[in-house]
Amino acid sequence: MSLAPIVRVENVCKSFRRGSEQIDVLMNLSLDVPEGEFLALMGPSGSGKTTLLNLIAGLDRPTSGVIRVGPETISDMSEARLARWRTRNVGFVFQFYNLLPVLTAYENVELPLLLLPMSKAMRKQQVTTALDLVGLSNRMNHRPGQLSGGQQQRVGIARAIVTDPTLIVADEPTGDLDTRSAHEILDLMVELKNSLNKTILMVTHDPKAASRAERILHLEKGQLVSETVPGAPALDSRITSEPTA
Amino acid sequence: MNSIDEVLLRFTSDWRNPVGIAALALVLFVAILYWEQTRFMLKSLRRNVLRSVLTGMATFILVLVITLVWSILAFLDRQTAAKSENLKAIITEKYQLPSQMPISYATSLAEGAPRNAGDYRVNPAKDSMLWAFYGGTLDPNKKTRENIIFFFAMEPSKIISYDNRTKKYSSMMDDIDQATDEEKRLLNDACREMEKYPYKVLVGPTRLAQMNKRVGERFKVTSLNYKEIDLEFEILGEIPGGRYELSAAMNYQYLQDAIESYNKGKSKDKQHAMTERTLALMWVRVPDMDAFERVAQQISSSPEYTTPAVKCDTASSGIASFLDAYKDLLFGMRWLLVPAILVTMSLVIANAISISVRERRVEMAVLKVLGFSPNQILSLVLGEALLIGCTSGLISGWLTYFLINDLVGGLALPIAFFGKFFISDAAPWWGLSIGAATALAGSVLPAWSARSVKVSEVFSKVA
Repeated sequence: MSLAPIVRVENVCKSFRRGSEQIDVLMNLSLDVPEGEFLALMGPSGSGKTTLLNLIAGLDRPTSGVIRVGPETISDMSEARLARWRTRNVGFVFQFYNLLPVLTAYENVELPLLLLPMSKAMRKQQVTTALDLVGLSNRMNHRPGQLSGGQQQRVGIARAIVTDPTLIVADEPTGDLDTRSAHEILDLMVELKNSLNKTILMVTHDPKAASRAERILHLEKGQLVSETVPGAPALDSRITSEPTA
Repeated sequence: MNSIDEVLLRFTSDWRNPVGIAALALVLFVAILYWEQTRFMLKSLRRNVLRSVLTGMATFILVLVITLVWSILAFLDRQTAAKSENLKAIITEKYQLPSQMPISYATSLAEGAPRNAGDYRVNPAKDSMLWAFYGGTLDPNKKTRENIIFFFAMEPSKIISYDNRTKKYSSMMDDIDQATDEEKRLLNDACREMEKYPYKVLVGPTRLAQMNKRVGERFKVTSLNYKEIDLEFEILGEIPGGRYELSAAMNYQYLQDAIESYNKGKSKDKQHAMTERTLALMWVRVPDMDAFERVAQQISSSPEYTTPAVKCDTASSGIASFLDAYKDLLFGMRWLLVPAILVTMSLVIANAISISVRERRVEMAVLKVLGFSPNQILSLVLGEALLIGCTSGLISGWLTYFLINDLVGGLALPIAFFGKFFISDAAPWWGLSIGAATALAGSVLPAWSARSVKVSEVFSKVA
């Protein structure tokens, strides 16, 4: 990769305690993600891909190691500071959309903007733009219950991009969709990456979905085991589970 | 009275209370300032309309009960709160209740018992009032609550009189000054009629209805406390309602004349047993505490009042000692019933908000993912509880005031000589404060639980 990494994960370990037992989910994992890359994370259940995604998105903190996103070292941040950082820097797309059922599509997309110092007119402009980008400006007054799964996921994507974040993280964004809707959502993500130069990290079980990414990382038992570029042979030498320092 | 008592008493009686107005203004200001968040909270409450409405209803009913109880307690507190000026001294028998003093005490007591030059002298025409109590039944063969009547026997001029010089009505009786001008005029006319025809009496509206009598009707009372002194009365009119709903007022002279008539021609030992015991109490109005203490000293040091001995209390302490009989009941209302209701309200709100938070753990996690800080999540949950508590509390306080005072005409609960109680003007503020306080108390733990939702635990599927 010739581009400077926007995400740098260095020697990250993450373990959980369950009673007296310690579960090591990530072990000395290091990873660079260049700006504007569409990266897919694959691996069996329990391999630690969602945990890694949560750490990069600032939803959790590593047991040890350093995570940098842009100029910020997010692994050191307090919970409140992380929350503020997430508002501006991360857009999250969930498997089950997780739209708030009492809010309309417009209000769901507007929600992250309420946390920013922004006029109502500005908010309206950004929400309209985001909904336009995902092709749902004609459904902005519908509640989630009145939208199909694919449409709800589009609203979820609009909500993720509305703050113009540095990073978009998506946890199985097509996992709850039929083939056609999944295809449309992946098209949309590729379009966002190409037109807005967004860095996208996507966790998926689906090889077809992963094949839309520029690079695929495979995790097993908390370690990166292989890297592939769709259409090319595995490039194991480009990844490491050993400390880089 | 110290300043905290003054603030509390004011808060319990006046809708123009600055604390209440400031609290409401603050709530509205915050709601408008953070309108988007308020709107979000309102929408969240709409998620389960039935639960929100039921929680609001529970708050509503409990605030209603507390408002009723507090209205009674606040009224009694005001009656027993010591005044520092324009206060009434109550002179009663020292060692016996009910007090039965000889009427011969009345003249000197009405002046404050001055004996020496320089002693404090009360104006008996304006600032003193004698009280006797005459009770009996309309049907001696079948005494019921409805046919027993109890009269305050007094001088009609002290009930109300009109001063031609100042063009103002004056009264020694509490709350008469709150009557309308027209009511005062009618009452003044009636009192002059009572002076002219002592058998004419005034009866409280509720008592009149209970007796099934109308203005203008005559009736005979077989006395219960003046044996063989049975009197005939004509109903002249109604006393203005409120605290006199269940009372009746008669001219003391009528009772005195009846006793004298009974005694006529009888030897001293055959005279009526109550002849020298008709005076139940004297009221003397003094301008300040210093005057009260001087009058009390004059009375207690006077050799005139030894058989029986008398005592002089402020009206507030007199009422307080009268309310001693209700001490346990009032204690229970104040310190058991009210706290129990407040705790119940908090638990109802805690239960509803806990369920709501538990159901919305994923939503709380999503909000955190979107960038809401833990304290913002906490505020959202507290805000939802406050919205329910404040709204239902305010509406309940206001509706209780309207229902009890305007629609029902007062809460009929005979405690001591107070027949009816009215809801305080400050009831909406009570509702707002109670609703807010219990909502906060009930939602703190659920809100803290929402604040502490771990996003990774909600979303991670770590094996």
